[in-house]
Amino acid sequence: MLKVMNLSKKFQSGEHLVIAVNNVNFVVPDGVFAAIVGKSGSGKTSLLSLLGALDKPSNGEIFVGGENVSRMSDLHQIKYRRDKIGFVFQGYNLVPNLSAIKNVMLPLEFAGVGKLERQNRAQELLKKVGIDEIKSRRLPARLSGGEQQRVAIARALANKPDLVLADEPTGNLDSATGKIIIKLLKDLAKKEKTTIIAVTHDTAIADDADLRFTMKDGKLT
Amino acid sequence: MGSISRGFMNAFRNNIRTLSVVLILSVSIAMSLVMYESLKTVQAKIADVKSSIGNYVTVSPAGIRGFEGGGNLLTQDNVAKISQISGVSKTVSTLTDHLQSTTTNLVTPVEAGNFGRRQQQNSSSSSSNTSSSPDNSAGGQSSQTHSFSMPIMVSATSDLSSTQSLNMSQLNITSGEKFANDSSENIALLGTDIASKNNLAVGGTFTAYSQTIKVVGIFDGGNTFSNALIVMPLASLQTLSGQTGQINSVLVQTTSIDTMPQVSAAIKTELGSTADVTSSQDTSNEAITPLQNIKSISTYALFGSLIAGAIILFLTMVMIVRERRREIGVLKAIGASNFLVVSQFAVESLVLTLMSAIVGIIIGTALTNPILKVMATNSTSSASTNSMVGNPGQTHTAMMRAGAGIINGAGSAVRNLQATVGWQIILYGLLAAVVIAIFGSVIPSFIISKVRPAEVLRSE
Repeated sequence: MLKVMNLSKKFQSGEHLVIAVNNVNFVVPDGVFAAIVGKSGSGKTSLLSLLGALDKPSNGEIFVGGENVSRMSDLHQIKYRRDKIGFVFQGYNLVPNLSAIKNVMLPLEFAGVGKLERQNRAQELLKKVGIDEIKSRRLPARLSGGEQQRVAIARALANKPDLVLADEPTGNLDSATGKIIIKLLKDLAKKEKTTIIAVTHDTAIADDADLRFTMKDGKLT
Repeated sequence: MGSISRGFMNAFRNNIRTLSVVLILSVSIAMSLVMYESLKTVQAKIADVKSSIGNYVTVSPAGIRGFEGGGNLLTQDNVAKISQISGVSKTVSTLTDHLQSTTTNLVTPVEAGNFGRRQQQNSSSSSSNTSSSPDNSAGGQSSQTHSFSMPIMVSATSDLSSTQSLNMSQLNITSGEKFANDSSENIALLGTDIASKNNLAVGGTFTAYSQTIKVVGIFDGGNTFSNALIVMPLASLQTLSGQTGQINSVLVQTTSIDTMPQVSAAIKTELGSTADVTSSQDTSNEAITPLQNIKSISTYALFGSLIAGAIILFLTMVMIVRERRREIGVLKAIGASNFLVVSQFAVESLVLTLMSAIVGIIIGTALTNPILKVMATNSTSSASTNSMVGNPGQTHTAMMRAGAGIINGAGSAVRNLQATVGWQIILYGLLAAVVIAIFGSVIPSFIISKVRPAEVLRSE
């Protein structure tokens, strides 16, 4: 379960104090697909950075699986990102000179999983997201956008995370492929009992979500 | 696949860039190796030249010019004063005289040659202008031309073990034995040539200064000039030649090559204008200058090449890190530690430098001796030009004759400098690669460690 309490993020931009996230509170149960919608600059990405321990909050606390993320040391945050979080980015962000399967194996390698186990797990995940064995040997550049995003989702799920954070996961895809990806995320959330938070400004995606939050000026409504 | 294999693979991610970097870096590593080998060779040669020249100061009567006479001879008092100077470890006194056909029954083994005939003509014209000359009564000009022979040189030293004092490279007794340094008997050592020319063996006698001199030993002096010499005890020659207590050269050995300038200065102060002081430091400097030039060039070029290599790698790695900033962020976001990411890039830079090292070793091995030869040729020609301009009269003194020989020998040795390129070059090449990789990767690694994974989201 994800629990966010009084979360704020402020930073100085020149002479102005910017409040990117302003006293946000929400709870997302396990296995739920939640969408956060909002316009550009509303604070969605800042909120996602805080949830993923990519940034430290100015105030408030984040609990993932009972652990207080906001009070973790840098070293613990690395471990947390590795073991508890999966990221899906808008631009896929696959390592270009590694094949699809090797990209999926990366988080497992960082977690110290043995080579054979890594390969089996990666192959299994790729199969789940619809990438066959032949395509799994291809470099990302030889896969379509939708296929690359599927590989990215498989990579996000590699370490069986408690929380998958997706930043505009369909932003670079056509609407049909986007719908397929969202359906895939929703199915995986249920099957893997993983909480998925997707940031998007596509209201159609948000409408399909189990939970929907709207962000405006750093506040969640 | 670990960070090591990823780093290895990344080194070949952009083949054109990899090739360019390897080529440029290999030139830098090759230059480092060439300069290191040159430096090593030159340092060994400098040590060799220094040890061959030795730490000697030569004191001669003021105005003496080699064997041409001039100046008042030095005395035992002068030698005693020199011995008291701090930094002097040993003094060896020598006296040299010439025996003419009128003062000895020995015949020189040295043919007059062109030089001798010129001396003869000078002597003839001078004697024809001097009617009172006793030599002139022996016959006309034509008979003098016929009877001219080279004088025989007699040398005496206070220490027979010091061959430098006799201007000889060696004194190997082939028969008989050496005499005691403090002997005052009428005894002598003969060079092999003069002994052979006069059918003399150990135990034989000859006449000089109207005295009978006994041959106690025959020696090989290493060359024709030395083998035509007679060597006698110092006290004996002083008495026989009527130069009691006098000497025409003192060879001063200093405690080290570094104290030579101070000892030279102290002797000049002590003896004033009565003596000319020549230090082998001067000779040493003349011989070593071209080597020092090469050493300086090699040292600067060695560090220059290493720094250039490090800068090339640094710029390459900075470019690569900037290009892959997003990828670094992704790796960190999905759980890679700073150490893992930095080590991946460190391996990449190490692979680039190791490949460069292999190419650099091949280039370095091929170019070491040609480049060393070019440096030696340039340094020798500039040094000899300076030497000729600065000291036109030096080659006339006895010491300087020897010194000039050493300089010429050193000059020849410099021109013929040959670096021995062995298997160690592989070790040095790898070492250069590691040094370049370390210095070239420090700042890029720091940049990597500062990349925040949140930047990946912000830059979407």
